[in-house]
Amino acid sequence: MVESSQVVAKAVANKSDEEVEQSLYAKRQKIYVREVHGLFARLRAMGVLGLLGLFYIIPWLNLDGHQAVLFDLPARKFYILNMVFWPQDFFYLALLLIVSALTLFFVTALAGRVWCGYACPQTVWTEAFLWIERKVEGSRQQQMKLDKGANSFRKIRIKATKHFLWAAFALFTGLTFVGYFSPMRELAVNFLSFNTGPWETFWIYFYGFATYGNAGWLREQVCLYMCPYARFQSAMFDKDTMIISFDESRGLPKGPRKKSVDKVAAGLGDCIDCTICVQVCPTGIDIRNGLQYQCIGCAACIDACDDVMDKMGYDRGLIRYTTEHSLMGKHTHILRPRVIVYALILFGITVSAFYSILTRTPIAMDVIRDRNSLYRETNEGLIENVYIIKLLNMDKQDHSYTLTAAGIPDLILKKDTDKIVVKSGEVVELPVRVQVDAYDLKQRSSEISFTLTAIGNDDLSVVEEARFLGPAY
Amino acid sequence: MSMSDIPIIQRVVAILWPSFIVAGIATVLFTTAFDPANISIFADYGISRLGSYTICFFLFWLFGAVTSTATCYFLKPCDAVNKRKSSGDSGSVKE
Ligand code: SF4
Ligand code: SF4
Repeated sequence: MVESSQVVAKAVANKSDEEVEQSLYAKRQKIYVREVHGLFARLRAMGVLGLLGLFYIIPWLNLDGHQAVLFDLPARKFYILNMVFWPQDFFYLALLLIVSALTLFFVTALAGRVWCGYACPQTVWTEAFLWIERKVEGSRQQQMKLDKGANSFRKIRIKATKHFLWAAFALFTGLTFVGYFSPMRELAVNFLSFNTGPWETFWIYFYGFATYGNAGWLREQVCLYMCPYARFQSAMFDKDTMIISFDESRGLPKGPRKKSVDKVAAGLGDCIDCTICVQVCPTGIDIRNGLQYQCIGCAACIDACDDVMDKMGYDRGLIRYTTEHSLMGKHTHILRPRVIVYALILFGITVSAFYSILTRTPIAMDVIRDRNSLYRETNEGLIENVYIIKLLNMDKQDHSYTLTAAGIPDLILKKDTDKIVVKSGEVVELPVRVQVDAYDLKQRSSEISFTLTAIGNDDLSVVEEARFLGPAY
Repeated sequence: MSMSDIPIIQRVVAILWPSFIVAGIATVLFTTAFDPANISIFADYGISRLGSYTICFFLFWLFGAVTSTATCYFLKPCDAVNKRKSSGDSGSVKE
């Protein structure tokens, strides 16, 4: 880590002191990212556009008369396409999160930090903010000149425009974010007429502010100091993982030269030490010093260096996607134990997650013992316990159910109704009494079970355990 | 390595950020298990569910941040504590 911070220091050493930005955080030299063109820049732009597009469009899509993806927090229901999840389904959502995490591990083992470079929200929004910055302030040189120059009307106007655009974009992002939790169409109308509820308003601005801060100001510092994945991703790396690397055997010794100079005769490698690869790096490192944890794998340096190689008439790929093994001249193994193990675990959990979600029983039953009394003796001399049965019909149709109880011989279940009707998405609370003969009780607390079955559909059935309390024997 | 080698941003982040993540997880777990509509402090003041989630989140964040701050504070090397005392305390005997 110490070495790599020196690297950053070296990379920016030739900048003057005025560029040292004094801001709310530590003295940090602002990294002016040079624009880059090329294959990977295009891929990244596609990733950014695609993901941002999805993010901003999804809340507007409707399905079956409801928002297709809506985490309806006020109503405690999550709509994901044609599925509805309830707090009782928490387990499934946890499973889906585990599947996502495992997918990330698997991809990391195979292809390194492609997530960071192309898909991470931090990268995606930073790219969008950089794009706005470039449109308003111009190229890297123009930005540096502007920041160095004295405060003038022009400078203030340009800065104000940039921050206004950033803030507007961030606010729209905040609005969209809240649209995942509160119906988007209503929210947008309310927002435009300044009628959003106090908490919604708060979250719109809070998320908007976070976007503005993270993508506009903090940028690479989020990756360096805040991202847990950046810190532990190397644990998933091995010598066959795809990384972005400078080919030392080809590039060194580095040094400037004219295009006409014969590099072999001059005793030089392919690297002309133009430092373009450092200028395009969003985290401000020098990839020529080897793999560093600051490298987010964005491949900007590949595009940049390929361009230089083309101009010099050298082969492309001085900086390229490769693996440690192939850099050492060995064979790269794609199918290796680590990858196979990750793949198997991932496959197993994904299949079981989807299977359990698709076959989940859309009823939830809670049995709550009446807390006021342990038990009661009836006029007939039976021992009675009282329970509240709480039913939630998570299906899309209404259902009628029958309730039975078992666990103690000759148990009697007393309830007001034989047919319990619960509408789709509704909760019904039903008090029931269970009576048994004290003679049949073997201990103070016995286990009984309630079974709820939908009438006309025996597959739709749940069992819930409860305790029956009686006198000491 | 002393604490001052670590950039301020990294220290601020070390306090606010882990507590933020933990607060998010804690809020999800807590509000999944207990519906705020059934919790009397929220219900009595007529705070909506969205409001209750928000309050839960910020309370958890505050607790987490306090814990992280204490952790960072106690991480200070013993020598650093000595040094500050001898330089800040004008009445102390100096060698
Ligand atoms: S862009 Fe390529 S040639 Fe230029 S300094 Fe970087 S590695 Fe060397
Ligand atoms: S070293 Fe290259 S791939 Fe890594 S972050 Fe910098 S520009 Fe991107």
